[in-house]
Amino acid sequence: MPIGNVQPSVRPVSSGRTDADPVAAEATGRHRGTRPRRSRGGARAERFAPYVLVAPAILIIVVLRLYPLLLGVNFSFTGDGERNGTVVGIDNYLELLDDSLFRTALGNVGLLVLLLPVAVAIPGLLATFIYLRVPGHRFYRSVYFFPAVLSPVIVGAIFNLLLAFDGPVNAVLGAVGIGPVDWLGDPDVAMFVVVGVHIWATFGMALVVFLAGFATLDSALLDAARVDGASLLQVIRHVIIPGLSRTIAFVAVTTMVGMLTSMFGLLYVMTSGGPEGSTYLPEYYIWIQQGQMNRPALASAASTVLFVIMLVVGLLQVKLLRRAGGED
Amino acid sequence: MTRVRLSRWLLAIPMTLLALATIYPLLFTVNVAMKTRRDYILDRFALTDALRWDNISTAWNSVGMDRYFLNSLIVVTSSVVLLLLLGSMAGFALSQLRFRGSSALFLGCLAGLFVPFQVIMVPLARIMADTALIDTYPGLVLVFVAQFLPFTVFLMTSYYKTIPREVIDAARIDGNSVYGVYRRIMLPLGTPALLSVGILNALFCWNDVLMSLVMMPSAEHRTLMVGVTSLRGQYSDDIPTFASGVLIAAIPVLVVYLFLQRQIADGVAAGSTKG
Repeated sequence: MPIGNVQPSVRPVSSGRTDADPVAAEATGRHRGTRPRRSRGGARAERFAPYVLVAPAILIIVVLRLYPLLLGVNFSFTGDGERNGTVVGIDNYLELLDDSLFRTALGNVGLLVLLLPVAVAIPGLLATFIYLRVPGHRFYRSVYFFPAVLSPVIVGAIFNLLLAFDGPVNAVLGAVGIGPVDWLGDPDVAMFVVVGVHIWATFGMALVVFLAGFATLDSALLDAARVDGASLLQVIRHVIIPGLSRTIAFVAVTTMVGMLTSMFGLLYVMTSGGPEGSTYLPEYYIWIQQGQMNRPALASAASTVLFVIMLVVGLLQVKLLRRAGGED
Repeated sequence: MTRVRLSRWLLAIPMTLLALATIYPLLFTVNVAMKTRRDYILDRFALTDALRWDNISTAWNSVGMDRYFLNSLIVVTSSVVLLLLLGSMAGFALSQLRFRGSSALFLGCLAGLFVPFQVIMVPLARIMADTALIDTYPGLVLVFVAQFLPFTVFLMTSYYKTIPREVIDAARIDGNSVYGVYRRIMLPLGTPALLSVGILNALFCWNDVLMSLVMMPSAEHRTLMVGVTSLRGQYSDDIPTFASGVLIAAIPVLVVYLFLQRQIADGVAAGSTKG
């Protein structure tokens, strides 16, 4: 703290003003009754100061986040191309339902929901092991976290190399007699591969969150369970899960939001939505309709659907986990 | 006790394998970037026989990675400076000053957290086009700032809440205006949080692809990550050069991670425990 910069507290009385806030002065019990007259302009400037400090941030957030949300919802009820600007009711939404690519995208969202427990359990288990001081836990922590700071583009590019049909992974599998798998070219496999890579790239983030949660866990409980001879599974079931229900809820929500909003880079680099549109997600669909197909209104409708999905998923998970936490 | 110890060592085996699986893809890429094309085709896995930098310099000079790198640097630096400035100003006011409407304004900032870019991509691109900000540095900077400001305000507010009011009161009595308190007290005291949040924001902006792709359509203004995606088409049969391009994009992040891992993890953890 640069004490040296702070102006002297004793000011010449003749200046007739001080910047000290009356509330602050009263709170400390000093200056009471001897509060000097303050100049009007200064007082007003002080009163508005909080608003001046908050204004730029709130302005940017309102103009470039909240207002566009309304604009987009509004936009989704208008037409594209020739019908640009005219109100078309729910036509865009009907077209979405009719579009097999969008239905695939929704189906893939369902798949993500199903895979969510895995994506939460892996970092949860690993954090448990690290918390219980597996030999070398510091090393694991920093290695596991590393991919989480890499861009999905870089991760996707690296896995493109590794998973190419004539690439190294298939070469290794071939050496042990397992036929080559078309990782990114088989519609039944590709989505699982992309989700797998996403989990590989992001589990370190969740791991760090779990470890922060463990830091708040009462270690006396854990020691008591140990003394009572509880097995690892019993400790996890009866001490760790109830103790960390808030953290688990947080990780579940952020992981789900992450899967819905930060896989674009992977999809763009690894599959471009293919093969046969099997790896479409809503965010990729929105981008294609907006940028490539010149259907902004249709894209807005898809955006609105994505927003509703995210709201529902978020609320549902918070509710479910709150109930789970309440029972224990 | 011995049983517990043994089981811990048994756990270390799969965890080490997983650590290898985490780190190997990157080592593989580094190795490939050092190889000649011929070496790569003959044997992908063998260690390179020499540290060759020609692929890296090819990717840097002839593909335009140097240009993309500069673009990213300009946009990310400006965004982070703005984010920290606006975030700490708002965080200070929302945590320490009492004024009418402060909780409503805080909620307004938080609401931004729940609006991902994907949801507002179309109207935002339109706003940027209408104001002639699309395909300009300030345009992408504004979009980045709007994207990460809610999170920054939230973290700075919760950090500044931990500073006792007496510190501010004392500074006010010493004759500081509100702005003086911000500049002389809150900014210096906020350094640890500013560092953590700044690094996180720098990573988020540096790693972004979707916002950059939508807001910077021209090749001249392309950011590094978008540049990497364009490498794939150009160098699909020259894997070592491709790997070099990927490496150029990854190296700054790698360096940051090696030196500032603690701050990154702290930032992530702070974001979760204060939620």
